[in-house]
Amino acid sequence: MSEIRKAGATRRAVLKAGAAFAAMPLAGKAFAQPAKAPTKVLDFHTNADMAKVEQEGQLIFYCHENEAGTAAIMEGFGKDFPKIKTGYVRAQTGALYNKIVSERAAGRFDVDVIQLSDLAPAFDFQKKGGYEVYASPEAGGYAPEHLSDPAGAFFWTGVSFAGIAYSKAKVKPEEAPKTWTDLLDPRWRNAMSCKIPSSGIQFVQWYMFRKLYGPDYWKEFAKQRPRAFDSRVQLFDRLAKGDDKVCAIAEYAAYVLYKEKGAEVAFVAPADGLPATPLLVGMVSRAPHPEAAKLFVDWAMSARGQAFYQDNPNLVYGSLRKDAAPMRTGERLRDFKLLSPADYADYTASRDLFTKEWNAMLGL
Amino acid sequence: MGFARAQSILRARWSLPSAQTVVGGAVAAVAAVLVLYPIYFLFQAALNVGDPEAKPPTDYGFDNFAGLARYSEILLNTVGVSLAATVLALLFGFVTAWILSRTNVPGRHVLEQLMAIPYYVTPLLGAFAWSLLGAPESGFVNQVWRALGGDGYLIDIATPWGIAWVMALFEGSVAFVMIGAVMKSMDPALEEASQIIGAGRLRTMLRITLPLVAPGVLGAAIFVFAEMLGSFSAALVLGLPSRFYVVTTAMYQLVSQYPPRIPLAAAMGVSLFAVMFAMLFVYRRIVTRRSYVTITGKAFRPRVILRFVLLAVCILYIGLSVALPLLTLAYASVQKIAVAFPAAANWTLDNYRTATTMNAVRSALANSLVLGFATASIGVVLMGLLSWIIYRSRVPGSGIIEYIVMFPQAVPRLVFAFGMMWAWLIFPIPIYGTLWLLLIAYLTVFLPLGIRTISGVMLQVDRSLEESAQMCGAPWAYRIRTVTMPLLRPGLMAAWLLLFIASVRELGASILLMGPNAKVITPAIVESWFASSAELTAAMALIQTLVVALAMTLFVVLTRRATQLAHE
Repeated sequence: MSEIRKAGATRRAVLKAGAAFAAMPLAGKAFAQPAKAPTKVLDFHTNADMAKVEQEGQLIFYCHENEAGTAAIMEGFGKDFPKIKTGYVRAQTGALYNKIVSERAAGRFDVDVIQLSDLAPAFDFQKKGGYEVYASPEAGGYAPEHLSDPAGAFFWTGVSFAGIAYSKAKVKPEEAPKTWTDLLDPRWRNAMSCKIPSSGIQFVQWYMFRKLYGPDYWKEFAKQRPRAFDSRVQLFDRLAKGDDKVCAIAEYAAYVLYKEKGAEVAFVAPADGLPATPLLVGMVSRAPHPEAAKLFVDWAMSARGQAFYQDNPNLVYGSLRKDAAPMRTGERLRDFKLLSPADYADYTASRDLFTKEWNAMLGL
Repeated sequence: MGFARAQSILRARWSLPSAQTVVGGAVAAVAAVLVLYPIYFLFQAALNVGDPEAKPPTDYGFDNFAGLARYSEILLNTVGVSLAATVLALLFGFVTAWILSRTNVPGRHVLEQLMAIPYYVTPLLGAFAWSLLGAPESGFVNQVWRALGGDGYLIDIATPWGIAWVMALFEGSVAFVMIGAVMKSMDPALEEASQIIGAGRLRTMLRITLPLVAPGVLGAAIFVFAEMLGSFSAALVLGLPSRFYVVTTAMYQLVSQYPPRIPLAAAMGVSLFAVMFAMLFVYRRIVTRRSYVTITGKAFRPRVILRFVLLAVCILYIGLSVALPLLTLAYASVQKIAVAFPAAANWTLDNYRTATTMNAVRSALANSLVLGFATASIGVVLMGLLSWIIYRSRVPGSGIIEYIVMFPQAVPRLVFAFGMMWAWLIFPIPIYGTLWLLLIAYLTVFLPLGIRTISGVMLQVDRSLEESAQMCGAPWAYRIRTVTMPLLRPGLMAAWLLLFIASVRELGASILLMGPNAKVITPAIVESWFASSAELTAAMALIQTLVVALAMTLFVVLTRRATQLAHE
């Protein structure tokens, strides 16, 4: 039994320093929180003004998830609140963050809520005042380390973690890699997949393995000439069809989805642990539909929203809510040994190096 | 004192510009703003050697261009694939254009309509379908090959030749439309005269037909080559799995990552200007050297030759470019995991159920159809006028105007779109993220396409026909409406259809410019391919293809009806 490592004081110190950053051009005006009791809506509580939510009638969501996953989140929210018309933009975390920063720099504020899969851009966005500080009545369901510091900017709506996966049609179980260092075996040359440098979880894996195995690990990995793709669905698609033999960053959520489809794929959880990245949801400052944004954040944080995130076959997030039910597979996050950075300042600072090395590995 | 005399006195005293100068100048100014405004931002990004996040840049230099030497392999890949694809596309386009416009092959009218389908099916769908067919492990063709006892794989579509093949299959229809519009207007008497004095069919083709259609062929060659240079979707689907990069896929990776490497991406895009400039220079030298007039008022009479063999050639091209890919997508879309020999439990309609919940189907379709109609309608007027200014008028600076309007062809749309993104992001009127911005983007990037199509036909209209009308006293606008436009009608209709299709299939510009409420089809399919299963993407693509097919059928029926009514 293991748990996600937390950075404790070091991360909090960084976040506090960042949060004290003076007002930037991207900063939104601090929103005055209404001094009234939360409203009960369906089976959760919200500070959103429901009358204004209906007036606004819209929600714009930026999300890193794959198309089906993002559409599923909007569909889930939309079914509970059919009077709110939802729209979304989907892109991998890096591209999504580029987009929103460019837009805001030019004075465009079109986004209500953003979901990212990497703490580095989330911290950066928080420093720039990109998040609206919103005190959700559902925040009590989370441990402080699963909220932003100070609380209110974003929260960990779930965790995605990855192991190794292989095609059962192409690889015999006795030959399959069992550890992360087995991936360096020359037999997997030109037969392995990974993710592109925009991916949050790929960055986590790169960072954690440098700590675990040293920087030479990735130099050896580069000799395997892996192919990189945008989404976990693509990775498993190729694995299921035998286009790749092994996936070096096989997200558990995708494995569950493809196993249910009947794909001939197997998942391996190496003993050293599984790189994990938090999935971060936050209300954006100067949102065009602020009340709808608050409602969405409260919905996502609630047991209702978390159950949706966990049970939907296109999502299968592991929830960090204290009272969360198991995932659709019956497992909980604590059943896995998860790896995430201890020093988020160091992690964030190494982003550029990761991008440069990863591009070089992919031939760019 | 008559009005005409008063007008001439005013002109003499104050040198008033004529109507054609005023209109020509206004249209040229609009085109210049559309093109140069984002180009300025593109160059700014390429020359930015300071902090990439500082706006405006703090430091300018050529370091980004010097850095391109590291990517010489990518540049060579791009040129190599583009050349191969251009040759193949011209071959497909010329042969099919000649068959359908110079012979009486059976079912000519139906085949002409079918020939447009590869273009609107889009290289993305074609690449996608061919990856399902020809991937070395999972491709259906290779699965059948192994089931029949073969070893390894029969075809590998994930190679440079695979990319060139797919691009050529779909760009071949562009070459067909451009060359076909020219060939239709040719009088076969010129070829018959050649044969009467003893030249064989091949010699006649090479010495008479080919030189006379040279503007159309050259226009198609330049356009197709430039399209190949900017090729994105085929290289993305087929090239990335084998780590084969071309300029556009490399740029997309550089722009999408965090932090983005915008200056390097912009330098890559700007480097293609030089290639296009050279091509355009050669084209103008050839076109201005001789006359290609063939429209002289004589009737068109097609020739009888090997009808059913030629029919088979056309059907083969349409089969490979349309029928086979669409059938493949349909086959994949109804499976959980697409294989050549699915088990009973593998069949499903879930992909279609999921597709209907997604933005791409719900809103992107309607947006794309509306944008297509607007782009084509406004584009034909704008580009028709620009073609006239460049090739027919005496408006000063028409040569410079031609270079300006060809700029978009020289730059991969992805990078051009980046310049547009910044240009219109800071524009005081809030059109960023709306369909208006996409409309402006489409009109800008399709300027070369429309002008090439219309000018290819315009060059065949002898000036003497307009001059005759002028000598009879017809003003400029009247001449354009009653003499030039009717003669250009086939070219204008071809251009409208081409612009509509180009708009619906557009990817490179749209993928950076579309907002949450302004989604359009093709980038939505790409997003789905990145982030969904192949089977779900196939379902989405088929739904969208069907709706667009219905829209196009409606257009053809309506225009045919309008033509019939006009003749009555």
